Amino acid sequence: MSANRLLGLILVFSPLSILSIGGGQATIPEIQHQTVMVHGWLTNDEFADLFAIARAAPGPSTLIVALIGWQVAGFLGALAATFAIFVPSSIVMYAASSWWLRNEQSAIRKAIEQGLAPVAVGLIFAGMVIVLRAAHAGALALGTTAAVCFVQSTTKVSTYGIVGAVAGSYLLLFALLHYMA
Amino acid sequence: MPPEFDPAAQPAAAQSDPAVRSVVTESDAAARPVSAESDPAARPAVGLLQLLGTFVRLGAMTFGGSVQSWVHREVVERRGWIDNKAFLSGLTVAQVLPGANPVNIALYVGLKLRGGIGAAVAVVGMVVPAFCVILCLGYFYRGYGHLAVVHFVLAGLAASGVGATLTMGIKVARRLPRNVVTALIAVSVFFVVGVLRWPMIPVVAVAIPTSIAVAFFANRRAVDVR
Repeated sequence: MSANRLLGLILVFSPLSILSIGGGQATIPEIQHQTVMVHGWLTNDEFADLFAIARAAPGPSTLIVALIGWQVAGFLGALAATFAIFVPSSIVMYAASSWWLRNEQSAIRKAIEQGLAPVAVGLIFAGMVIVLRAAHAGALALGTTAAVCFVQSTTKVSTYGIVGAVAGSYLLLFALLHYMA
Repeated sequence: MPPEFDPAAQPAAAQSDPAVRSVVTESDAAARPVSAESDPAARPAVGLLQLLGTFVRLGAMTFGGSVQSWVHREVVERRGWIDNKAFLSGLTVAQVLPGANPVNIALYVGLKLRGGIGAAVAVVGMVVPAFCVILCLGYFYRGYGHLAVVHFVLAGLAASGVGATLTMGIKVARRLPRNVVTALIAVSVFFVVGVLRWPMIPVVAVAIPTSIAVAFFANRRAVDVR
């Protein structure tokens, strides 16, 4: 039974790994479809809960599969699902990066590099707009975004310092708002 | 053990020859192949433990679809391990190929700095702590997930992630070649994916070959003229 469930996790998530072009966000709807509709491993509400946790957690949001694996088959399930979602895509990325780094001087690579740059910039800004919209960002969120960008552009404060400062100020602000209300 | 104690982290080359360091921190792409690709002394400047430590901290402390922006800040801006151009091309490959972007960019950075073993180390650093944290969060969420303060702080962290992305976007956009075609491609990809919300895959499937072909023929014309 348990072995069957582990195998099921691997069979669902490894094809998704190869199909997850555009990163984790693009795969979430398909993960939901497979795990809720097709396999009935969780209900829609349970999926929504796990999705909220994955968004709150650090690291890649694709790690939602670890939570699903845990739910389906315990710790081994979490491990199996994580391996299944990361290993196949990593093999593809490894092969492509190796070719990329070996052919430093080729004219094709040079053209690919130059051609990719403007597309990358377009995608970076598009991703930002999508995240802000999905979060229904208000003045506070936009202000935080601008402040972080300003601090990063003008100082060398570490990533961890910035994350810590934002978390601390939000805690303080929350306490203040509550005190006044 | 802190990564600073790794003996391989500070090789003689990087200590005795300040030029090696300064060249790597510069984004001048022309100088780089000479200094870091063909000079073996400059390559092991990043110890495996240092690499692991950096990605463990990045994987455990950065949030919400913006992990690659924090990677850019640590690896390019603060440590100068790789230059902007190399990072940007790696990032695009990471975004276009299947797989979670943070994992793919970790693999690329690790591979570039320390070969296959570096790739494995960076990916493990990115995934393992995040894996542990998410399982712990899953365990505690049932107890504390309803608290408003949790949602409030998480929203703040998400907004700071967008700030990191904005910083990276501005930096890389300023380094694009100044011509109409490049600007047109960048703006239309942004508009079509970000504003019109067309699905990314077909858009990229058209934009990337077009953009590469434009660059290829522009380069060839430049060579012919010379």
